[in-house]
Amino acid sequence: MKQKIPYITLIIAGAALLFASCNKLTENPSSVIIADQFYKTQSDAVSAVNAAYSSLNSDPAGDFPLYGRQLNLLTENGSDNQIYSPSNTNPDVRALGTETYISANSRVQKVWQQLYYGINRANIAIDKIPAIQADTVVLNRLVREAKFLRGLLYFNLVRLYGAVPLILHDPTSIQLKDLQQPRTPVDSVYLQIVADLKDATSLPKTYSGSDKGRATSGAAHALLAKVYVTRQQWQPALTELNQVINGGYGYSLFTNYRDVFQKPTKNGVEHIFSAQFESNLGAANSVQNLSQSFSSFNPGTLPIDIPADQNLVKLFSTSDTRRAVTFYSEVYNAATGKTVVYSNAYTPYFNKFVDYSLTPLTTQSQSGINYPVIRYADILLLYAEVRNEIDGAPLTEAYNAIDQVRNRAQIGGLTKGLSQAAFRDSVFLERRKEFIQEGHRWFDLVRRGGTYLVDALHTLPAKSAASDKNKLYPIPLIELQQNPKLTQNPGY
Amino acid sequence: MEYYIHGKNLPIKFLRILLLVLAPVVAFGQNEPRPTINSRLEGTVLDSLTSQPVPGAVIRIKGTTNAATSDVNGRFQLVTGQSFPYTLAVSFIGYKTKELVAKGSPVTIKLIENVNQLNDVVVVGYGTQKRTDITGSVASVSKNLLKQPAASFDNLLQGSVSGVAVTQNSGQPGGSATIRIRGGNSISFGNAPLYVIDGFIIYNNNDNVNIGSNGPSVNALSTINPSDIESIEVLKDASATAIYGSRGANGVVIITTRRGKKGTNNVSFSTYAGQQRVSKKLDLLNGSQWASLINDVNVSDNVAKTYTDAQVAAFGNGSDWQSAAIRNAPQYNGELSVSGGDERSRYLISGNYFKQDGTLLNTGFERYSGRVNIERNINDKFTVSANIFSSRSKQNKLYGSGYNSINFNSAFANLINTSPIAPIYNANGGYNTANPFNATPTNPLQDIASTTNTSLLTRTLGNIAGEYKLLDELVLKVTVGADLLNTTQNYYAPSYTGSPAGSSNGYAAQGYASIGSGYANSWLNENTLTWSHTFNKDHFVTVLGGYTTQHEQAASSVASAQKFPNDLTTFNNLSYAGVANLPQSTGRSASLNSYLARVNYSYQHKYNVTLSERLDGSSKLGANHKWGSFPSVGLSWNVNKEAFLENNKTVNNLKLRLSAGQTGNSEVPAYSSLVTLAPTNYYFNSTLVTGIAPLQLANPDLKWETTTQYDAGFDLGLFNDRVNLVFDAYYKKTTDLLLNVPLPLYTGYASALENVGSVENKGIELGINTENIKSNSFSWKTNLVFAINRNKVLSLGPGVNSYFPLAPTGRQSPVIVKVGEPVGTFWGYKTNGLLTAADIANHVPVLTGVPQQVGDTKYVDTNGDGVVTTDDRHSLGSAQPKFTGSITNTFTLGHFDLSVYFTGSYGNKIFNLLQQTLERPTLSLNASATLLNRWSESNPNGTVARATNAPVPQITDRYVENGSYLRLKNLSFGYNFSSDLLAKVHAKQLRIYASAQNLATITKYTGLDPEVNFYDNDNTKQGIDYGSYPAVRTFLLGLNVTF
Repeated sequence: MKQKIPYITLIIAGAALLFASCNKLTENPSSVIIADQFYKTQSDAVSAVNAAYSSLNSDPAGDFPLYGRQLNLLTENGSDNQIYSPSNTNPDVRALGTETYISANSRVQKVWQQLYYGINRANIAIDKIPAIQADTVVLNRLVREAKFLRGLLYFNLVRLYGAVPLILHDPTSIQLKDLQQPRTPVDSVYLQIVADLKDATSLPKTYSGSDKGRATSGAAHALLAKVYVTRQQWQPALTELNQVINGGYGYSLFTNYRDVFQKPTKNGVEHIFSAQFESNLGAANSVQNLSQSFSSFNPGTLPIDIPADQNLVKLFSTSDTRRAVTFYSEVYNAATGKTVVYSNAYTPYFNKFVDYSLTPLTTQSQSGINYPVIRYADILLLYAEVRNEIDGAPLTEAYNAIDQVRNRAQIGGLTKGLSQAAFRDSVFLERRKEFIQEGHRWFDLVRRGGTYLVDALHTLPAKSAASDKNKLYPIPLIELQQNPKLTQNPGY
Repeated sequence: MEYYIHGKNLPIKFLRILLLVLAPVVAFGQNEPRPTINSRLEGTVLDSLTSQPVPGAVIRIKGTTNAATSDVNGRFQLVTGQSFPYTLAVSFIGYKTKELVAKGSPVTIKLIENVNQLNDVVVVGYGTQKRTDITGSVASVSKNLLKQPAASFDNLLQGSVSGVAVTQNSGQPGGSATIRIRGGNSISFGNAPLYVIDGFIIYNNNDNVNIGSNGPSVNALSTINPSDIESIEVLKDASATAIYGSRGANGVVIITTRRGKKGTNNVSFSTYAGQQRVSKKLDLLNGSQWASLINDVNVSDNVAKTYTDAQVAAFGNGSDWQSAAIRNAPQYNGELSVSGGDERSRYLISGNYFKQDGTLLNTGFERYSGRVNIERNINDKFTVSANIFSSRSKQNKLYGSGYNSINFNSAFANLINTSPIAPIYNANGGYNTANPFNATPTNPLQDIASTTNTSLLTRTLGNIAGEYKLLDELVLKVTVGADLLNTTQNYYAPSYTGSPAGSSNGYAAQGYASIGSGYANSWLNENTLTWSHTFNKDHFVTVLGGYTTQHEQAASSVASAQKFPNDLTTFNNLSYAGVANLPQSTGRSASLNSYLARVNYSYQHKYNVTLSERLDGSSKLGANHKWGSFPSVGLSWNVNKEAFLENNKTVNNLKLRLSAGQTGNSEVPAYSSLVTLAPTNYYFNSTLVTGIAPLQLANPDLKWETTTQYDAGFDLGLFNDRVNLVFDAYYKKTTDLLLNVPLPLYTGYASALENVGSVENKGIELGINTENIKSNSFSWKTNLVFAINRNKVLSLGPGVNSYFPLAPTGRQSPVIVKVGEPVGTFWGYKTNGLLTAADIANHVPVLTGVPQQVGDTKYVDTNGDGVVTTDDRHSLGSAQPKFTGSITNTFTLGHFDLSVYFTGSYGNKIFNLLQQTLERPTLSLNASATLLNRWSESNPNGTVARATNAPVPQITDRYVENGSYLRLKNLSFGYNFSSDLLAKVHAKQLRIYASAQNLATITKYTGLDPEVNFYDNDNTKQGIDYGSYPAVRTFLLGLNVTF
C-alpha cells in the first residue's frame, strides 16, 4: 500500500483545488438584469418609460391597478356616486364609501404608494435617459413622456392629499434618515407639475401604429388646462383649452357615446389620454377591475361596485343615451340563450367597463376597455365652465360647448339665458352624468370649494359621517410613523 | 491477522475472504500453529427480546485473544486450549457486552440491546463522538419511532425529540410539514432545520419543486424513502450546530441511512398495506336549512323572501358535496433489501415502492426509490464508500391557489361552499353543471375529479467519500457529492371546469394547460483532516480542520396555453391551443465556501471541552459582508465518574453540560443585495410592450442573521440506566434579522431588505426514558418528551413597532408581527355576544363604518374611547404552543409487542379562516351549521350574528380557536415468530403487525384537524386553516421478514 500514498494524496489535493477554485462568491446573475447593466441603449430608454406607463394599469405587488380600480375607490366611492357593494369584503373599502376612513386605511395608502411608484419610474427615466448615447429626438421624446406621467401623477397626489413630498430622483440610500422628507407646499408642487407638463407640450401630436396611446402634446395641453381649472386660473386654462380645441389635433366627440367604452374604438377621436388595457388572455395580466361590474349570470352574485342609490340612475332622462351605456339591468346569456334580469335592491349595475366582446362574458378580468383619463367631452365641459367664469355669464361659446356634449347624449341643448351660477350648476351636473365611474366626481366636488363636497355627501344617509376634513385624504399612517418631518392633514 | 489485497493471487485472496466470511474459526486455525484442544464450545447468540439470532457477534474468552464470530444463524464454535469453566465476553454493536461463565457446550447467549444511549457513539457534525464526551445537546430519534410507517421522514420527527415541533401542513398525501427546532428564529426567511443526509448537506427549499405550481406545496423531502433511515440525530444547541455555521441556526437533523453489517448476508422484505379514512367532516347546512338562511338574508336586505315555506321544507337534506368527494383510500408500501458485509466491505441495496391514494378524489402520492450504500476498506489505511439513492415520485394534488399565493382559493373550500340545493349529479348520472349559484356552468366535484394537477419529482443524491489514514492518528477525509432534483408539474383545467386557469378558470379559458419544469442541483465537496491523540493516557484530544465548498444551481420554466379545441390532449400538447401565454423562466445560482475547525478535549472522559469555529462565505450576501464567523464553546462534566458517585447504587450516570455559540441564517433569495430590474407590461393600442424598472434598492451591507445561543443541561441515568433523563434549558437571541424594512412609500419602494431587529426564543426541554418493568417475559418502557418554548419579537428596527404581513387582496391580515409578542400573533377584535335592543338604547360603542343593529356582533371597545375602530384590535393569542410533548409506551410480552404513542400540543391558537368564511352568509354559498343558531326575530336567543348579505369578515376572537390537542398518533401491535419456527422456513426474523395512525384526537378545535398550516412555511402566518386537505385515520397490516 505504500505506493498508493502519493497517488491518492494527489487526487485528493487536485479535487479539492478544483472545487475551491471554481466556486466564486461574486454574483453574476444570468436571469435578472442588474441596474449597472441597464440604461445604455435606446431600447433601454423605451423600456424605462414603458415601466412608468405600466404603473397606471398594474401594481408591482399584484394588487388592483391605480386606474381601473384604486383611484376610483377614492374618487367614486368617496363621492356621492357610490357607497360600497356588499361584495366588498375589505372593511377599508367600505370605510371609504361611508367617509369613515382613517389614516391607516390600506386603500388610501395603496393609492399614495401607486402614484409614487409611477413617479419613481418617471424620475429614473428622466435622470437616466439623457446620459444614453442614441437618437436624441427619440430620447427627448421619451423624457417628455416621463414628465407628462410625472405631472399627471403629482396632479393626482396634490389633489388627493394636499402638500406632498416632492421627490424628483431615485433614492441612493436605504438609510431612513437620508430618506425622510417634509411635505412640499401645494404651490411648489403645482410649479413642478406645470413645468413638467409644459415640457411635455413639445411631445408629438400623434403617434402611429403600436405607439398610439403614448402621451401627446394634446394630452399635455389638456392636462395643463385641468391643472389651471383646478387652481381656478381661468385665463391660462382658456389658453390651454383653446390649444386643445383649435390646435389642429382633430379631437371630437364620438357620435355614439358607447364608443367611448368599446374595445374597437379605443384611442379614438375623443380619447386624449387613456390608461391602456387589453384582453390579454393571460399573456401578461393587468386586470381592469371596473369591468367586474358584471361578474356572473347568477343574479345572487353581487358585482364589485354598485350605485350609491336609485337616485343616481334617476339623474338621467329616459331619452339620455348615456343611461343605457352607464347602467345595465339585464344581460343576454349566449350559453343558455336566455336574458338574465338583475333586479334587487342594488340594481341597476354599472356598465361602462363591461367588455361585451369577451366569450364567455364572465371572463371580465380580461376586459380590454381603456380607462379614459382625459377625453374630449371633459375638455368641452371645462371650456364651458371656464368661459362662464371669465365672461361672468354663459355666452354662446359656453352654451355651444356644453350643448355638444348634451346633443350627443340626445337630451337637447341647455335652457338658454341661465345665470352664471345656474349655468355652473348645470355644467357640474353634466359632468357628473357624463363621467360616472370615470374618477372625476370627487375631484369636481372638492375643486368647486365651499361646502359642495360635504353637502353632496350628506344627501346619502350612509355618508352622514362626512365633514370638511374629507376634502383631503389623510397622509398614510405608515408614512408618518417613519418620518417625524411629515404632518397630518387636518381632522385625521 | 490481515488480508491484504494482492493483485496477483486473486483466487487465493477470494478463497480466503470466503473462508473468512463463512468459517471464521477455520480461517483462524490456518494462521496459527496447531494448538492443544482442551474444549470445544458451540453456541448460539440471540437477541434477548426477539430471540432472533445475532450474527457477527464476537465471542471472546476473557483474558485471551481467542475469539470467534457468530454466523448468519447466530451460531459459533470455539476451539480452545482452555478447559471449562472459563469466562466469555460477548460483544456486538448495539448490544451490551455480556460476560458469562461457560461450563460446557452448547451455550445459548442472549444479548441485551443497548438501550443505554449514553454509552453510544453518536453521529455529530463532521464525525462521530462518544456520547460521554459530548458537550452539546444532541438527541437521537428512537428506533421505535423510525419503524413507523410514514410517507416521508419529516412525519417521523413529530414528538420524537424534545424541542422539535412538527406540524403536518395538511392531509395531502406527500404534503409538506413545518418543522421548528427550539422555535423559529427568523421572521422572514428560513426557519426549517438543515438536513445532513449521509454527510450531504441539504437546505430543503420547497420553492425548488414548486414551479408555477397549483395547490399546496410539494414536499421535496418526500423523495426520500423513510425506511432507508437507520438513525436520525437532532443537533440543537450551538456547541453542536456551530460547525454548520451560517446554516446551523435552525438546528441540524443528521440522517444516516442503513448499511450492511459485518458478517451477515440478509435479504429482507417488508410490506404494509391498509386503508385511510377521513377522520372528521365539517358540519354544514342542509338544503332546507340553507334555503331558510337565504330567506333571512333577504329579510335583512328588505326584499321578498326567495323561498316559500313549502319550498324550504321540500329541499330536505339536499346535496352533501363534502361527502361526495371523500373516499376510503388504500395505502401500500413494499420494499426489498439485500445487505451484508465481511471484514472489509459492507453493502446495502434496497428498493421501495410506496403508494398512498388520497381520501379526496383524484389525489394521491406514489414513489419508487432505490438505494445502494457500499463501503470498502481497500487496506488498513484507505476506506472508500458511496451512498447513492434515486427516487421518482408522483403526487396528484388538490388544486387550489398557487403555491405561496396569498390569494387563496382551495378546491376543498370551493366544494364545501357549494349550495346544498344544487344537485351534484343530473338525471343521467353525469355531473350537474346547471347550478344557478355558480358563476360558471361547472361543478366543483367534477372540477376536483377531472383537473390534472400532478408533480413528478426525480431525485438522485449521491455522496462518495474516501478516508485515508495519513498517519496513525491523522485521517484525511474527502467527500464529493451531488443532489440532483428534477421537477415536472403538469396542470390541466378542462374547458368544463371552474378550476383555476391563469387569471380566470378552465371554463373561461376554454381549457388551460400548464407545464412547469425545473431542476435544482447542488454539489458539495468537503475536505477534512482529523487528528486524534491521547496524551499521558488521560488527555484525549481530537482536532478537526476542513475546507468545504458547495454550489447550487436552479432553473425553471413554465409554459402555459389556453383555448383548446377539445380536452383530449390535456397538458400533453400545448400546440393545440389557440392562445399561448407568455412563458416564464428563471435561473439562479449560489455558492458557499467554508473553513471549519473543531477541538475536542477530554480529561479522563470526565471533563470535556469542545471548541468550534466555522467561516462561511456566501455569494448571496452584500459585497461588504460575504464572510461570517460562527464560533462555539461547549463544556461537560461527567459527574458520575467522580469518586463520590462512582459506586453510587442509584445514580449511574450524571453529566452536566454548558454551551454557548453563534450560528447563522442566510436563506435569502439569490441576488437580494443587488439592484435587480423587473419586467412589467403595458399596452400601446393593444400591443404588448415591456417596461423595465428597479425592483429593489441595493444593500451592499446585507449580511447573516446571527443567532446567539446559550444552553445548560444535564443527562441523568438512574438505577443502572433504567431511568434516563435529559434536561436542557436554553436562551437564543437572533439579531440582525433579515427584514423587509418599510421605506417611506414616496421613495417608490415599499421596503428594503436590511439587517435589523431581533427575536428571542427561550425554553426548557425534557426527555425521559424509563424501563418500568423488566423481566424475561415482560417489559414495559416509556419514553416521554416535553418542551416549552417562548418566542418573542424584541425589535423590528428603528421606528417600527409592528407590521401586518401581506393579507389576501380584499381581506384583513389576521396576524401581526409586533414587538413584545410572539411571531404569528393573531390580531383582531374581542367580541362579547350580540348587540341587544338594550345595548342600542344605551349607545354601547359599535364598530364604525358598518351599520350595526340588534343581532349583530358586539365588538368590545378595548381602549374605552367610545367607538370601536381598528385601534381596538389586540392580541388574540398566537400559533405558538405553550408546550408540546409526546409519550410512548412499549410493552413486550413474549413474542408480542405493543406500542402506544401519544403526541400533543398545548396552548397554541388556530385562526379558523374557513369557519369565518362559512359563517359569512351570502346569497349563493353554503355555510356552517353553526348558523342554525343565528339571531333572528324568531330566534332572539341565538348566539350567532344575524344573517346579512355578505358582511365584512372581521377578524375576531370567535375564529381564533384553541388549537391544543392530544392525539393517539400511533398504536401498533406486533408478533415476532420464534427462531425455531423460522429455522424451518430458513428465515432469521419474521414480524407481523397491525397499526393504526391518528386513531383518536382530543381537541376543542372545531375545524377538521388541529394540525394545520395553510400558509405552509411562512413563519408569520402559522396556524391558519383555510380548508386544507382533511386529515386521515390509517389502519395498516404489515410484515417484515429477513432471510
